[in-house]
Amino acid sequence: MKVENDSRFHLQQLTVTVPSAQLLSSIPLNKAVRIDRLDGPHQDCARLLDLGFTPGEEITITQRVPLGDPLIVRVRGALLALRRREAAWIWVE
Amino acid sequence: MSTQTAENTPATSKDHVVCLVGMPNSGKTTLMNALTGGNFKTANYAGVTVSLLRGRSKPEFGTPRNIVDLPGVHSSVAPSPEEELAVEVIEGRHPKVKPDAFILVVDATQLERHLKFGGLVGRQGKPTVIALTMSDLLVRTGQSVSALKLANALGIPVIPVDPRTGRGVKELVAALDGLSGLLWVGNTLADVPTEPVAAFAHIQDILRRSGAVTRTAQPDSLTSRIDRFVLHRYLGFPVFFLVLISLFAAIFWMAQPFMDLIEAAFAIAADTVKGLAPESVLMRFLGDGVIAGVGAVAVFFPQIMILFFLMTLLEDSGYLARGAALVDRPLSYLGLHGRSFVPMLSGFACAIPAVFAARAIPARRERLLTIWILPLMSCSARLPVYALLLAALLPAAAWQAGLSLAVIYVSSLLIGAAVAGIAARIFMRHRQPSLLAMELPAYRAPRWWPILRMTWARGSAYLKRAGVPIMIVSAVLWGISNFGYVPGAPIASTPMEQSFASGLGQRLEPVLRPMGVDWRVGVGLISAFAAREVFVSSMAIVFHVDSDDEETQQKGLLKQMNSATFPGTTQRIFTPASIIGLIVFFFFSLQCFSTVAVVRKEMNSWKLAGLQLLFYTGLGYALAVLSVQTLRAFGVA
Repeated sequence: MKVENDSRFHLQQLTVTVPSAQLLSSIPLNKAVRIDRLDGPHQDCARLLDLGFTPGEEITITQRVPLGDPLIVRVRGALLALRRREAAWIWVE
Repeated sequence: MSTQTAENTPATSKDHVVCLVGMPNSGKTTLMNALTGGNFKTANYAGVTVSLLRGRSKPEFGTPRNIVDLPGVHSSVAPSPEEELAVEVIEGRHPKVKPDAFILVVDATQLERHLKFGGLVGRQGKPTVIALTMSDLLVRTGQSVSALKLANALGIPVIPVDPRTGRGVKELVAALDGLSGLLWVGNTLADVPTEPVAAFAHIQDILRRSGAVTRTAQPDSLTSRIDRFVLHRYLGFPVFFLVLISLFAAIFWMAQPFMDLIEAAFAIAADTVKGLAPESVLMRFLGDGVIAGVGAVAVFFPQIMILFFLMTLLEDSGYLARGAALVDRPLSYLGLHGRSFVPMLSGFACAIPAVFAARAIPARRERLLTIWILPLMSCSARLPVYALLLAALLPAAAWQAGLSLAVIYVSSLLIGAAVAGIAARIFMRHRQPSLLAMELPAYRAPRWWPILRMTWARGSAYLKRAGVPIMIVSAVLWGISNFGYVPGAPIASTPMEQSFASGLGQRLEPVLRPMGVDWRVGVGLISAFAAREVFVSSMAIVFHVDSDDEETQQKGLLKQMNSATFPGTTQRIFTPASIIGLIVFFFFSLQCFSTVAVVRKEMNSWKLAGLQLLFYTGLGYALAVLSVQTLRAFGVA
């Protein structure tokens, strides 16, 4: 079966910085943003991808917990607690 | 497309195994409950689902079949041990559990993520039925999902199920029967690519074309509202501590009347048995050895049940994951993980289910560190020991003993944290922390009946597993303290002073004296390695307390302890210094062979389990001697 827009989803770690890309952790609460790319340790990013954090997908920070870490992020209908360290690998448009 | 004939997997076969698979929080275990009527066994007893559950489906669902509930899998990339186990079974690589068919449990509010996981199941080419759960939550996200359209698109039966009420379970089993009777064709899930980006695109494409989902999802407003409160910047921690305090208050106070009742019942039973033939050694053995031994375990049953009940309730409602998220930052500072929270909490009831609960921690290093500090958490087996020792130390006011107990509990957590922090900084300095990425399930109102069934399954499994060693040790201890070898005579019933236990204890006397106690307490300490609470019943045995008199056993024991002196002197054994020494010893020492055995199995290392035993028991002894000698130097007897 053909996968639509396959090329758009190429996510090999980009070295070129897209000017509009921002760190997920700098996004205000409840603002929906699109994932641009993941940039971090290979194994950890592979798991994040597998959990649904794929480029092009819309995500929202829904909550900051009392100590400021982790962030609660909504992705594909699920709420996931991401440490700031992990959120820093996710670049958003 | 994959096809398979059904001949090689007849549903009637005795060995036919249906595996329940899915992501965590999909309602798998609740479905297991509904399918089997709660009649399943844990391969290991668990704090929170961490092991394979095996059971047989209820007769009302046709031919009974073997059902195995696998641990939930978030992702097969860099998996935790429980995820790895589940993937191993799904892929048919497990030596014991070979699935013949799958029930794939899919959360209707998270179709993309759950169907993406379904790809792994689809690729196995085995008969698969999808149980669509959480449909009741779709109201909150403003969607509706058509099971029929989804089934058409996937080529697999999709049955909406609410395992909490039992709705749809019968249809689910019927669909499974339908599969094994016919030539099995279809299963688009098998075509889902393994590469995640392409896989999600593929699933989105299937969903879009099927038209199964109406409207895009709105955020679950109830869950956001509750999260705004329980994860609030200022209220978050007060709420968290209130939950924990209520949990412990419930464990100790709600259990008390039941514990008194059980204790009284066993005392009556023991007396009755001994009363049948007062001179018979057999009756004394049954009364003081066996029945009293069983009683020593059974008395903890209410506490363990209440703990399992409340943990299941917290897990089921969704709060447990929030608690873990709240404490992730302090825990990761100590080299632990947010997921260490559940094992540590369970550790306050019993280290054994806690060690199993640590399987949810992904990285071996964080799991090891969590397991390393679990013996410090003040388990409920220490409670009767502390209760006895504190009653002897502070006889005047109950509130002082209560306050001291609270101090002991909080210290056990703080010292555990310190040990983890120091160990992480010495041995694991240059390691990166592992990924948190932990799912917070949607809040749901608890359903009492499934929770009670789950509590019973977990609690009774615990009792069976822990009960046997404790009973055996009680019986052996009774034997060695009531029999002895007198030169020139056959081995026979002897007074305590000539018994085997006395001989053994007296050899340990040089080690025990610095702690300020004599061999009789030593016998108690050794027997406590079966389980710490055995200390209390062995003290009653070695100090010859008769439960026949009017007073309760504890009062009688306290009286005996008060008047106990070192043999041949008038020096009292139980002084403030020696009692504090004993408390310190119990605080640190790993007096629990079951824990050692379980740690060895979990970490697959005798070295590690042995090291842990020596470390904590050595530390306990050294600090006990240090406290006793320091107190004496300052003039405290």
